Amino acid sequence: MICPRCAHEHIEVMAHSPVKGVWTVYQCQRCLYTWRDTEPARRTQREYYPEAFKMTQQDIDNAPELPTIPPLLAKK
Amino acid sequence: MAYDDLRSFLKALEDYGQLLHIEEEVNAEPDIAAAANATGRIGDGAPAISFTNIKGFKEAHVVMNTIGSWKNHAISLSLPPNTTIRQQIDEFIRRWDQYPVKPERRDNPAWAENVVDGEAINLFDILPLFRLNDGDGGFYLDKACVVSRDPEDPEHFGKQNVGIYRMEVKGKRKLGLQPIPMHDIAIHLHKAEERGDDLPIAITLGNDPVITLMGATPLRYDQSEYEMAGALRESPYPIATAPLTGFDVPWGSEVILEGVIEGRKREIEGPFGEFTGHYSGGRNMTVVRIDKVSYRNNPIFESLYLGMPWTEIDYLMGPATCVPLYQQLKAEFPEVQAVNAMYTHGLLAIISTKKRYGGFARAVGLRAMTTPHGLGYVKMVIMVDEDVDPFDLLQVMWALSSKVNPAGDLVQLPNMSVLELDPGSSPAGITDKLVIDATTPVAPDTRGHYSQPVKDLPETAEWVKKLNNLLANRKK
Repeated sequence: MICPRCAHEHIEVMAHSPVKGVWTVYQCQRCLYTWRDTEPARRTQREYYPEAFKMTQQDIDNAPELPTIPPLLAKK
Repeated sequence: MAYDDLRSFLKALEDYGQLLHIEEEVNAEPDIAAAANATGRIGDGAPAISFTNIKGFKEAHVVMNTIGSWKNHAISLSLPPNTTIRQQIDEFIRRWDQYPVKPERRDNPAWAENVVDGEAINLFDILPLFRLNDGDGGFYLDKACVVSRDPEDPEHFGKQNVGIYRMEVKGKRKLGLQPIPMHDIAIHLHKAEERGDDLPIAITLGNDPVITLMGATPLRYDQSEYEMAGALRESPYPIATAPLTGFDVPWGSEVILEGVIEGRKREIEGPFGEFTGHYSGGRNMTVVRIDKVSYRNNPIFESLYLGMPWTEIDYLMGPATCVPLYQQLKAEFPEVQAVNAMYTHGLLAIISTKKRYGGFARAVGLRAMTTPHGLGYVKMVIMVDEDVDPFDLLQVMWALSSKVNPAGDLVQLPNMSVLELDPGSSPAGITDKLVIDATTPVAPDTRGHYSQPVKDLPETAEWVKKLNNLLANRKK
């Protein structure tokens, strides 16, 4: 299994359905995209995932910081 | 009657026929979000919707759109459901003037029934989380009131902040939280981070409607949301003490999450479909670690759909944006008559005012941009005369069409601040701002030919009454 959004291969399970075997929630350990396996293909399968929302390592590295981390105050 | 918790509000919605129970089995996605999206597309008076039969869950109960129509907004304020928009805002203003009303501290909150600590926490097990829009990076908490304190003045009750900030669930006990730089929690976080500290927070889920409205209201930094909630509900607001942080939280919440925003840490978050009708894009955002969860038995999970306006968030933020702007302007300029800032959280505002002298109206428009909310939101202001109702868009369009000469009535300010989410800003967070002065010029501003306005005839008011009576009494 790969991440539908960034194609990374390290995927972890976040949750199983309380009623056994109905669904599983997965999370990509690179871009943190989280999905339930019963969602439509446009959200769960790499080949159907919308181009506009695909993410790369570069996108993650260059994402703006919000809010900006302030400089540390000088210690008294 | 004021509501002390979400459940008594749901009962009131039910009694007024404004709560629809969806009994068929639904998928968590895309059904819940699509149904909530649909409430904004079925005309006026849309109900709240309640789901109790969600595939794969055992006890889950999700409610959406509780404030998402003018009827529901009226019921939130304990007003009759058919109260007009203008009457709801006038009543909001009237009650605001009762501020502050001291809160009432109560014991034994229902949210103390269950507790989970530390590594045992899995938010996916406790809350029936789900995705809203296709491009969202994950499942969000988007209607929770987040409580934080000023690290330099932690005992100051008024500086304790209650605000609604979007949070992505990014791990079993990890969230991403968006503090817009203009919001109070960003001031708290800045102070903690420049000291190298974490910022403790308490996240309260499933609340009565008035504290939710207050969480969306841009109060002054040292004004207490709890004391304003007391004014708005016309009785002391019930609070309780959160067990880990010691913060004041709503007594009636369904779930309390306590932990910290980890200082000086950012991590990829989003995108998320936002109130602007556009996605936010992915940003490196703050990281929250949850250390303690307290919750009622079988908690009700309340969430909010947002996307292309109008959706529930526009009702939630609409009057809550108009009233503080009106109060802050009126305090300095008693000439101000009314403020309609219901468009995209006040990115556009319409203000009616009397004029002291030429150039006065546009100065009021500029002042709106430098109120606390205005700094991050008010990008465009349309100024209209005192006899134009800013809530009557037909009148506003008349003013724009007949009173504006672009040669002198547009005031454009370069490179002003706005929240980064404004999709037109470039770079994100920087935009030009615009005042459109659609008031009638007064001396010494002698531009135009406005000396012969056509007024309603003096006898018209009497005929309005007469015609209404005839219409009401005519034979069916």
